[in-house]
Amino acid sequence: MSEVISARALRELIGGWLKAGIRVAGPRRVATDQVAYAWLDRPEDCLLGGYIHPHNSIKEFFFPRHESLYEYRIEGKKIALKNPEPLADERIVIGARPCDAAAMPILDHVFNWDFKDPFYNRRREQTTVVTLACREHDHECFCTSVGLGPDAERGSDVMLYELDGDMYEVRCVTDKGGNLMAGRTETSQLTGSVPPGPAKKFDLAYLRETIGSKFESPVWTEATLRCMACGACAYTCPTCHCFDIVDEGNARGGIRAKNWDACQFPMFTLHASGHNPRNTQPQRQRQRVMHKFSIYPDKFGDVLCTGCGNCTRHCSVHLGVQTVLEAAEKSWRNATV
Amino acid sequence: MCACEARDNTDSLADGTISRRENIYQPSLMEVLQVRRQSADVKSVRLRFSDEAEGKAFSFKVGQFGIFSLFGYGESVFNICSSSNWKDYIEFCFRKTGRVTNALWNIEEGDTLGFRGPYGNYYPMDAWRGKNLIFIGGGIAMPPIRCAIWYALEQRQDYGDITIVYGARTVGDLVYADELDEWATRERVRVVRCVDPGGETPDWKGEIGFVPTVTEKAGIAASNAVALVIGPPIMIKYTLPVLAKMGLADQDIYTSLENRMKCGVGKCGRCNSGPVYVCKEGPVFTLEQIRLLPEDF
Repeated sequence: MSEVISARALRELIGGWLKAGIRVAGPRRVATDQVAYAWLDRPEDCLLGGYIHPHNSIKEFFFPRHESLYEYRIEGKKIALKNPEPLADERIVIGARPCDAAAMPILDHVFNWDFKDPFYNRRREQTTVVTLACREHDHECFCTSVGLGPDAERGSDVMLYELDGDMYEVRCVTDKGGNLMAGRTETSQLTGSVPPGPAKKFDLAYLRETIGSKFESPVWTEATLRCMACGACAYTCPTCHCFDIVDEGNARGGIRAKNWDACQFPMFTLHASGHNPRNTQPQRQRQRVMHKFSIYPDKFGDVLCTGCGNCTRHCSVHLGVQTVLEAAEKSWRNATV
Repeated sequence: MCACEARDNTDSLADGTISRRENIYQPSLMEVLQVRRQSADVKSVRLRFSDEAEGKAFSFKVGQFGIFSLFGYGESVFNICSSSNWKDYIEFCFRKTGRVTNALWNIEEGDTLGFRGPYGNYYPMDAWRGKNLIFIGGGIAMPPIRCAIWYALEQRQDYGDITIVYGARTVGDLVYADELDEWATRERVRVVRCVDPGGETPDWKGEIGFVPTVTEKAGIAASNAVALVIGPPIMIKYTLPVLAKMGLADQDIYTSLENRMKCGVGKCGRCNSGPVYVCKEGPVFTLEQIRLLPEDF
């Protein structure tokens, strides 16, 4: 026995949420060949299948690419600070891929160890994540290599499985998800399933064990020299969370803003003295991969990667976490004779 | 007037507004009490909390840092270079280098700055009790040592001999020069000043040479001592073997790493050196700890 909803009822539900003033985001065609997670204006804009992975991730609905931390006003020698606008709106993200939903509990660690980031936390509380299990994958997908899969439930409040005949099986994962879908589904004999995900691209256990001692490995240079430092990997990544804090305004006032940043940019770690601890692109690539597979898991338990493949998919030289790790595993295994 | 004047302390407001206390990125407002020019391109600034109650509640430990900001220009990270015993104000020191510090150069008494902190760990002044203290600094690294020097001088009976080796490129680049003179008059304090060859003036009475060689020649007794060494990476690199030769163990040599930071609270992702977030697990490390880190600072 299962709970199901028809595509039509699901669209009506989305329409109802929008009408009730709830902000709803989902995969939307933004160009002929491009799908992005974006705020929805109409229920029919939401794609409920037919895409592999949007070009962005759902992190921006929790950790926006640009966000005001507070406002400042300058009046002579006096300064007045004002909190940002209230974050009270209820939000729903629908059609998330499992690899995007899984990023949220992973990001919870960094935004809450010791100091708690109220902006991120408020949005996490306000947002319900409805995930669509994957029936297809492309060459870049590697969720199975990091312990996830095409129907991994981590980070989701509700899971949707595409069924034949424009139906979806609905599995509520959390109470929040249960409340959202209560009374909206009907009982059925149909159950959804997904084909196996992509074949494993690297051995996570081996890499986790090995990577910590490979800081000086030549593989970082060999595998990443072609990187052009555009930062697309970090911007499209569901788990990359580095940010900058800058003032935007004029002599009378403005905002202090938190903007996305990327460890691939040369200025990211540049000291005022001119010294730069990560002065070359391979050093910066090593930082990105080691942050995800050594530093972060050593601290918080989770690898900082969900295998979405966006880093490679959107890289103009086809260089991403999985291509680097594949090269690293090959090189390190061959070296240990 | 803006809402901030109310200084609410509730954790969460009913309308979803993030309260001031909850907003970890929002600074306290500080009034500039004094600006002193320390060298051609270095100034020190003395600040007092605009809110008296906030000032009374504030405390820090020497070695910790703050994030100081000039509204309209941005934030910069500096060590709090005053002693933690000084309750009426805090101080920081900056060199005119980038966007924020060039703008800070023009601030004057009565201006308002932002301050977040204190952040990071601190010098283990308690563990250093009963020890001889060796302070070695280069250039703009005097301020983060100065706070520890004053702290030790204020608890003079707790510490043994104090040796201060301080070098800069030229005589004019020595910051807190007046305080160096004052420290030299104190009992059981030895001050060794040096400038790079060519940086001396005709009336220069100090040493001429680089910090590592001057330290080596100074004949400092290393028994029962700890050393705090802060300066440019090249100075630290060549001073460490000198200290080892003198007989100091790695766990008795301390430094403060100064990686670029934005948030100061372990989130923005750039100050890490290998597995260590300098803003949270540092900035103060022993040489023993640093030897475990990859070459990433």
